[in-house]
Amino acid sequence: MIALNGESISILLFFVGVYGLIARRNIIKSIMSISIMQVAIILYFISTNTVPGSVPPIGDVAQTLQVADPLPQALMITDIVIGIGVTAAGLTMFIHLYHRFGSTNWQKVMKKRNQHD
Amino acid sequence: MINLHWVILLPIVFGTVVKLISIKTAKKIVTLFQVALLVSVAMIFVHVRENGTIMENIGGWPDTIGITLRADLLASAMVLLTCFLFLAMVIFVHNKHYADHLFLFLFLSLESLIIGIFLSNDLFNIFVLIEAATLIITILIMYKKPNVAIYDGLMYFLINVVAMSFFLMGLGMLYKKIGVLDFDALKTAFSLVKDPQSLLLPYAFMITAVSLKAALMPLFSWLPKAHGTPSAPSVVSAILSGLYVKTGIYVFLRLQTAFSPLIDTSELFIILGFITAIVGFMLALAQKDIKLLLAYSTVSQIGVIMIGINLDNPVAYWGGLYHLMNHAIFKSTLFLTAGMIISEYKTRNLDEINGVFKHMPAVGVATILSILGIIGAPLFNGSISKYLIASGSSGTWIEYGLILINLGTIVVFIKYGQLLFGSSGKKEAVDSDILEKAVVLTLSILCFLGGIFGSELIAILFNIDLTVDLLSYGIKMLFFVGSIFLGLLIYRGLFKKSNRLAFINSFELGFNGICLSITLFFAFMVIYLKITL
Repeated sequence: MIALNGESISILLFFVGVYGLIARRNIIKSIMSISIMQVAIILYFISTNTVPGSVPPIGDVAQTLQVADPLPQALMITDIVIGIGVTAAGLTMFIHLYHRFGSTNWQKVMKKRNQHD
Repeated sequence: MINLHWVILLPIVFGTVVKLISIKTAKKIVTLFQVALLVSVAMIFVHVRENGTIMENIGGWPDTIGITLRADLLASAMVLLTCFLFLAMVIFVHNKHYADHLFLFLFLSLESLIIGIFLSNDLFNIFVLIEAATLIITILIMYKKPNVAIYDGLMYFLINVVAMSFFLMGLGMLYKKIGVLDFDALKTAFSLVKDPQSLLLPYAFMITAVSLKAALMPLFSWLPKAHGTPSAPSVVSAILSGLYVKTGIYVFLRLQTAFSPLIDTSELFIILGFITAIVGFMLALAQKDIKLLLAYSTVSQIGVIMIGINLDNPVAYWGGLYHLMNHAIFKSTLFLTAGMIISEYKTRNLDEINGVFKHMPAVGVATILSILGIIGAPLFNGSISKYLIASGSSGTWIEYGLILINLGTIVVFIKYGQLLFGSSGKKEAVDSDILEKAVVLTLSILCFLGGIFGSELIAILFNIDLTVDLLSYGIKMLFFVGSIFLGLLIYRGLFKKSNRLAFINSFELGFNGICLSITLFFAFMVIYLKITL
């Protein structure tokens, strides 16, 4: 029996995202799947190696015994920013693609692109 | 000597500042800046060569807490190559109308990011820099006419983001087990790990992403579309194919070195490299579009480099790294000349281009010199590096495999070389831009110099003495002459009249297919490691 904690759920979520990438032909769903993968990664980083009852590493924590590891949290702030940028850029490009090819389906878009060549 | 972080920051700062100046002056200033950067990087290189590795902790933090930059001999040699190629590209675009302020900014930012990847000593930094570089490259490959190429751009972007998500997941797992992400600290930590099984998943996640970045066998489908897309200016194609793919190989090398005490997969990657090389030239042979042909030939050469760096032999290792540098020179020359040919003939179809030699003599000379380099003709740089890889593998099946790969490369470039001859049906000798001609001729002459002074260059760049044995080099060259004749026969017999491999083109992977191949590669890596460890 696998314990239901942040780690196992994030791995599950990650592969839900991967499934979406493989099985869905809708471009918006592909971009959403990438977001799901990113959320899974963020959950994984901040939930591993944490002890229940530990305090976030903000402000004066000198008196506290259990302080959460600050490094993954710092890394994940960077990753959240990157994730927003990636999703925004992907959706912007998708809008242009939709104007050009008039479809949200990878297969149809690929066919139209190859006719163009 | 300037500090390492300035080498990374200055191009971005400069790219932003020149926005204030008119574009004509801006290009001159950027060229001067590139010369200055090349000189200062050369000074760093000399310093590293004499005094050993430079480490710099940004912000003065103690080790493993802040961001650390590290310039060892390989990293500083790669940075030198980057600055040199970008100087050549900036001169090349001097008279081009598409090179406006935005283009210069993006181009210089890409230079910063590539230098950053080479100097990083930290896995998370490498992730951030690669992610930013992906975004910039996506804009650059759609630069000239965004509408036509939007599909290529979106594919490139999303696939690389997926791969980097795998990388970040692996990084998280590694951090959970080890608690550091710095290469030096990882090395110390790995020596304390008793059970390599515990690092199986992080390694599999990360190596999947890096293999995609380096365009290995099942994961290269994104590369030709990105590198050979019609909308990318030829300088962008040249940088992508010549330099940016090498960052993948560099990160691969760093990861393999870090994990080497625990996990050794070099045999697997020799086989993957071999398959990549074979599939690469087969696909290159099937192409009609000259830019796609060059892009697939990049895949094939990456296979050769992978064979070289994974063989457990110092001669082959340095040969592989020298081939990496050589490939940067001749492949960027080929892409630049292809760009000039396309803009002159207004077509990218190989069958419709004839008589480049008569019509554009300088471009013809540059093309033929770099073709001689890539097929490994005697006295050219490709022959030295291929000879070193082959002599490191002597006595095994790889030695014969390399002859086969070279035969394939020869057939591909006999096909490509058809555009040089015949009559163009246009007026003789067109007048193209003098700067463009100067750049491609300089680069192609470097292919020749890299061959003649091969062992001296290796001694300067990598500080290692490798002598080329004249007798065995002569035997290799006999093989080469034999392969040329065989290649001509194969080309005349099989490919001159009809394109017999055209059916391969119909197996094009869509986005879902590529994601499936990433997942399958990951699953394969996990199973392979489970069995071998």
